[in-house]
Amino acid sequence: MTKQTSPNNIRKEIEDITSRSYRDIASVLPKDRMPIGFFCPLVPEELIHAAGALPFRLMGTSVPITHAQAHLPPYCCHLVKASLESLLQGELHFLRGIVFCQTCDSMQGLSDIWARQGIVPSQFNLMIPTHLDSEHARPYLRAEMERFKYFLESNVGKISLRKLKDSIRLFNHIRERLSEIYSLRRTLSARIPGAYFARIIRAGYWMDRIRYLELLEGLVDSLPKQTEGSDSLIPIYLTGNMAHADTYFSLIEDAGAIVVRDDLCSGARTFRLMVAEDRDPLEALTERYFQSFFCPTKYLGPQAHRDILLQEVADSKAQGVIFLLYKYCEACFFDYPDLKSALEAKGISTLLLEVEDPVQSKEQLKIRIQAFVEMLSPL
Amino acid sequence: MNETSNPYREIHATAAYRRLMIAYYFMVKHAAWFGKKVAWITSGGPVEPLYAMGVLPFYPENYGAMCGASRMSVSLCEAAEQRGYSRDLCSYALTDIGSNLTGKGPLGVLPKPDFLVCANNICGTVIKWYEIQARALNVPVFFLDTPFIHDEIHDHTLRYVEKQMEGYIAFLERQLKRPFSEKRFYRVGARSLTAIRLWKEIIELSKNHPAPFPAFDAFIHMAPIVTLRGTRWAVRYYRKLKKEIEKRVEQGKGAFAREEIRLIWDNIPIWYDIRNLSKMLSSRGAVLVGDTYTSAWAHEQMEGAPSLAGFARSHATIHLNLGLEYKIKKMIELVEGYGAHGFIMHSNRSCKSYSIGQYDIKREVSKATGRPGLIIEADHTDARSYAPKQVEKQIQIFLEIIREKEQS
Ligand code: SF4
Ligand code: SF4
Repeated sequence: MTKQTSPNNIRKEIEDITSRSYRDIASVLPKDRMPIGFFCPLVPEELIHAAGALPFRLMGTSVPITHAQAHLPPYCCHLVKASLESLLQGELHFLRGIVFCQTCDSMQGLSDIWARQGIVPSQFNLMIPTHLDSEHARPYLRAEMERFKYFLESNVGKISLRKLKDSIRLFNHIRERLSEIYSLRRTLSARIPGAYFARIIRAGYWMDRIRYLELLEGLVDSLPKQTEGSDSLIPIYLTGNMAHADTYFSLIEDAGAIVVRDDLCSGARTFRLMVAEDRDPLEALTERYFQSFFCPTKYLGPQAHRDILLQEVADSKAQGVIFLLYKYCEACFFDYPDLKSALEAKGISTLLLEVEDPVQSKEQLKIRIQAFVEMLSPL
Repeated sequence: MNETSNPYREIHATAAYRRLMIAYYFMVKHAAWFGKKVAWITSGGPVEPLYAMGVLPFYPENYGAMCGASRMSVSLCEAAEQRGYSRDLCSYALTDIGSNLTGKGPLGVLPKPDFLVCANNICGTVIKWYEIQARALNVPVFFLDTPFIHDEIHDHTLRYVEKQMEGYIAFLERQLKRPFSEKRFYRVGARSLTAIRLWKEIIELSKNHPAPFPAFDAFIHMAPIVTLRGTRWAVRYYRKLKKEIEKRVEQGKGAFAREEIRLIWDNIPIWYDIRNLSKMLSSRGAVLVGDTYTSAWAHEQMEGAPSLAGFARSHATIHLNLGLEYKIKKMIELVEGYGAHGFIMHSNRSCKSYSIGQYDIKREVSKATGRPGLIIEADHTDARSYAPKQVEKQIQIFLEIIREKEQS
């Protein structure tokens, strides 16, 4: 471990970048890579990175909506509203490009509204197929990947085979390290408290990825391999279309529980996106979307979401599942009743947290999380 | 503003329309008596292959509109909400889920499907909705994935949809255990194209002043173009309707005695308030002469001889699957083509795919045409999200603005 990757320095670096608003983040981003924004892990960061750009994920901030309502009706999720608000408030001027991909109706609408503002110089719509168990979706997605590659090469830089393979390896390593930290955290929660953990994840969507991997490796090395035992915390599985935010992780821990696994957009869904390294890279990037259930906006058969959730919850040994859903997210709310019933049929308790602006609803969430954890605690 | 009576001219074909829809629903409800299978299908789904295979389509969305118009939706939505579904979800879906759970609604117990056909060319909602019903009813579902077209359509997208169309045929052959007859498909396809052409011609007759067949009539008489597209019934019915409407044009008669303000409507109708709105507008001399909703069934891409590739293209490029720039252009064409004085946009909280972008459309269309637009908030079937008094007030003020503008 170098001085630069001592636990204190790692923490400082992570805390620094994740404390910044969009407005003052540009100064700490790597100078040699142009930031290209994206929303959804379905966008292959590997390709953006291989072109020489910095994939920069927009995860929604807590921002009062004052401009976006001139373009969006009230019944859009906060991620959509807040992202447009940040754009209109001039917080995203540092982005040199933005990539949307086909997910939900609100995002599709946002993409067109975004393009009309003409603020971010280039924009691309990556149309990931929705029918991910159709044999015809593969060649289609492969062609979309080619189209995306062409866009990046025209707007950022040439993507050589070697660069793409390097990027794939880099992102695979990041995912492996994150998975490892997830597993270690169960027993080392005191070393990586929830709020810090959420920031570790978030930092990985903004900072230089080579540096990020160094930090993750430093972090893993600094952790004892022995368990320290934190069995008193109630294991929770967290699911929803949200990115990691300190608030939930600390609220859950303060209540005496711990998130042992998740199915969040920025968490396990991303870990599942491992790319095979022994084949043609574009083909491997295409193939990964067909391997396991990914997101409720995608279709892998009527039972896919239920099956993967039941399996993952069982593997995680979680006692309860928290659904953390953005209000107005159709994909999630359509799935919710059947998922809840399936979990409860297996004896797993569930809690639904519906949030508009995540940070604004903290107090109300706190009480509900406490009550839920108490219900799960042994009498 | 003068608020006087404004007699409405009944369409004589309405009696034939009622008989047609009663017969259609009777057949779907009792499909087994006729030795038919039933498929539930989304409104943008490819229905022609179903008719070619002798399968009866049932449209939960059309049924949702019926529940809305008969003011039965709210209790059905509430039944779905009891089961844990959020009130924020599309009320067509909630109505269908509620009907299925309770067996209630204007048709009573819904016709049990043998399989489901879902195309996401209208929205992402239907994927989730049909997944739920596939689980609840334990039936197979065919899903036609039509990537959204923000600007241009790419060859690989067309190929993708075409390949799936072939997959659809194979799916139907498996479900029905008999081969697909291309000959029958071409016959059905030809009838479908004829009905679409007729429908287009009928709604465009309202470009005449006064409008002989305004949007409120089109909202009602559109049911066969959705549910019976590809059948002789639809062709026969629309020929009859067209004749009658053409006659009105020859005689210079509009649907209303007085037509002073011509308006375009955007989005799905507010089914439970159609009558009131129509009355309220017409009493002030205003008529909705055209709309984006019913004209979506006049597929512009559906030209030439029927073919699977042609159907793939037309299904991939329907109104709701196209981006904002297209929608702006379409609205401008409607406002100009129908000589409208303004337009009303229904911001429909149920339907994000239709409603997101309306604020930009309104601005751009007004800029391009010099015609004002009004956005009203409602939901197509769930009356709980509608404040009629407030909407009425907004419309009154809007009409006054138009009148002042026209007089100056
Ligand atoms: S949270 Fe849901 S509604 Fe919002 S962008 Fe994601 S999928 Fe769409
Ligand atoms: S969301 Fe809109 S397009 Fe989709 S089913 Fe509902 S009303 Fe129809």
